[in-house]
Amino acid sequence: MSKRTFGSRLADAATVSLAFFWLIPLIFSLLMSFRPQAEPITIGNIFVGSRITFENYAAALQVAPWAWHYITSILFVFGVLAVQIVTVTMAGYAFARLRFRGRNLLLFVILLQLMIPSGVLLVQNFATIRALDLFDTRWALMLPYWGSAFGVLLMRQTFRGIPYELEEAARIDGASWLQIMRHVYVPLSIPAYVAFGLVSISSHWNEFLWPFIVTRTEEVRPLTVGLNKLYGTTEVGALYGQLMAGTLLVIAPLVILFILFQRRFIESFATSGIK
Amino acid sequence: MKKTHVVSLTAFILVSLLLSLVPALAQDNAVTLDFYYPTAVDGPASQVIQGYADQFHQLYPNITVNPVYTGSYTQTRDTVQTEVNAGDVVVDVAVMLATDLFSFVEEESVVPVQTFIDEMDDAEAYVSDFFPAFMENGVDENGVIWSIPFQRSIPVMYYNADLLEAEGIAVPTNNEELLAAAQALTTAERWGLEVPVAGGFPIWLYQSFATAYGQPVSEADPTEVYFNTPESLAGLEFLTKLGTEYAVGPVGGSAWGDTPTDFTSGHAAMIYHTIGSLTSILQNADFTVGVSALPSGPAGTGVNDSGYGAPTGGGNLYIFASSTPEEQAAAWLWVQFLSSPEIQSDWGANFGYIAARQSAWELDPLKSLAAEHPQYLQSVDALQYATREFAAYRAIDIQNIINVALSSVISGSVPLEEAASVLATAQDQIDSLLADYK
Repeated sequence: MSKRTFGSRLADAATVSLAFFWLIPLIFSLLMSFRPQAEPITIGNIFVGSRITFENYAAALQVAPWAWHYITSILFVFGVLAVQIVTVTMAGYAFARLRFRGRNLLLFVILLQLMIPSGVLLVQNFATIRALDLFDTRWALMLPYWGSAFGVLLMRQTFRGIPYELEEAARIDGASWLQIMRHVYVPLSIPAYVAFGLVSISSHWNEFLWPFIVTRTEEVRPLTVGLNKLYGTTEVGALYGQLMAGTLLVIAPLVILFILFQRRFIESFATSGIK
Repeated sequence: MKKTHVVSLTAFILVSLLLSLVPALAQDNAVTLDFYYPTAVDGPASQVIQGYADQFHQLYPNITVNPVYTGSYTQTRDTVQTEVNAGDVVVDVAVMLATDLFSFVEEESVVPVQTFIDEMDDAEAYVSDFFPAFMENGVDENGVIWSIPFQRSIPVMYYNADLLEAEGIAVPTNNEELLAAAQALTTAERWGLEVPVAGGFPIWLYQSFATAYGQPVSEADPTEVYFNTPESLAGLEFLTKLGTEYAVGPVGGSAWGDTPTDFTSGHAAMIYHTIGSLTSILQNADFTVGVSALPSGPAGTGVNDSGYGAPTGGGNLYIFASSTPEEQAAAWLWVQFLSSPEIQSDWGANFGYIAARQSAWELDPLKSLAAEHPQYLQSVDALQYATREFAAYRAIDIQNIINVALSSVISGSVPLEEAASVLATAQDQIDSLLADYK
């Protein structure tokens, strides 16, 4: 029977209050989304105004073909992730275990990519997509992200942390390279893959500028571009209710995903060292 | 004999060649136009625009318009800019800010619609049917028309007519009356007058003060900007004092997005806002809403020396230089269609823009809407006191300089006594930007 110390109670209190501050925007969005559009925050009950309404959701749903946007967003993030897993695994292994001329230089060049903001490449990437005749397709969304400098670095570090003896043992048993990857490296790196997957999915789920520039048809545009329609009402004043309703619709899948796999994610981040 | 054979053979070959060309010609006639449009208002604009495209396709079966919603005005410009910079322009027609004209002229990405207008049989009637104030920003310093008004607006003053009547206050028509009315209407719970110049973009409404005091920010010459003048300073002083000295509205002005709700919920008795908000204000207000032209400055200044002055705002239709001649010809038909009285009436009634054609106001649905809500006609009255909006070469950079300067004074962070030097510094920066264009 250990008594809880004052210190641990203080730490708990600090955690709870931090969590509360983190929750404020979410709570605010939720409340605004159910508040009648015409009522500023000063009117009626501070939390929900004079009544709770679903009008904002009904109006937000009308603005864009959300079903198509959901389909596109899901295909986009998983289409990117599926290819990324293959490319970062291969490249990560190559940089971790293979010896070849110019390895460090090549790694350096790949890491340089981390420092280039994607906006700088917008015009060139656009021209490339046009040249490949992929303009206004879902392929155009995914293509620039199939390689990932961050993923390569992460897998390289992870693979280097795996004892080389395991690979040697497998080799003595007659395992091919693919079998070694499948039975040694990949299973031992699952936490890193989960962490990388989460970072990849959430960043592409929130991607706006590139999909916006490279698509024109509603059906192949992701959720962020649909949500943008609700931000477009600048001239007549902010429609906070609709905006928040739309925002919640867009972030819902990610929030649910995170809540479901919370423990897993946190463990992965702890083991893989991503913060 | 032989000769006739040759002739008939040649004729036969020619005819069959021509015949074989007919289906090909019919195919080549099919034109698809990519049409980019932003919206800044509430409502299902996409469905309405698609409806117009379908109507247009029935009129001209060989032309298909592909409407693309491109976000805000800024995002639309960014999209177009990416295509222009990549040297691979997709867009054929776009709705973009009327004030962006000179940046497109400079990069030669759009063509002047003047060439198409010159070929019209009723060119004069077409051009003169637009409200003159809305045409001004589409015309360069040589009088060449580059773009056609599509979704245009002006700022107006909204007032709580019931409240003014109850307090026995006449609708203010000049700045002195405005101030007196605002002071009388201000209570602990309510501002007398909200002018939405907070939030980093005060230039639009500032222009109404500058013009009313006698000097618009820009005139016909796109290489000249007037920011450091006695009139500019007088306008800016009045605008600033509304908050800092007279306290009839928040210091630094109100936020653009919150101002209509403040008004409809009774937290502001009078507001300056775009006419584009009229529809939602009418929907949400449970009192009689009054609309009038922005009150005037000193007599003998402003538009036609009336003392009044309001900038126009909103988007025009541009045709792109990168399109083929066939596409441009089709694009011009589409521009004519969108600027027709019928579409202008429908678009205005649906989304609260001021129909840019005078004859549109005699057509339903706008006609019956205006009969039901006379406030719409008051916006047309206000138009006679409107003038061009700020436009010049390097407009985006200059606008930023002006916005920063104005915000620093209006917010009170720079005292009014130093406003003159703020204007002078800004004017120097602007002049050095424009030096290359003179």
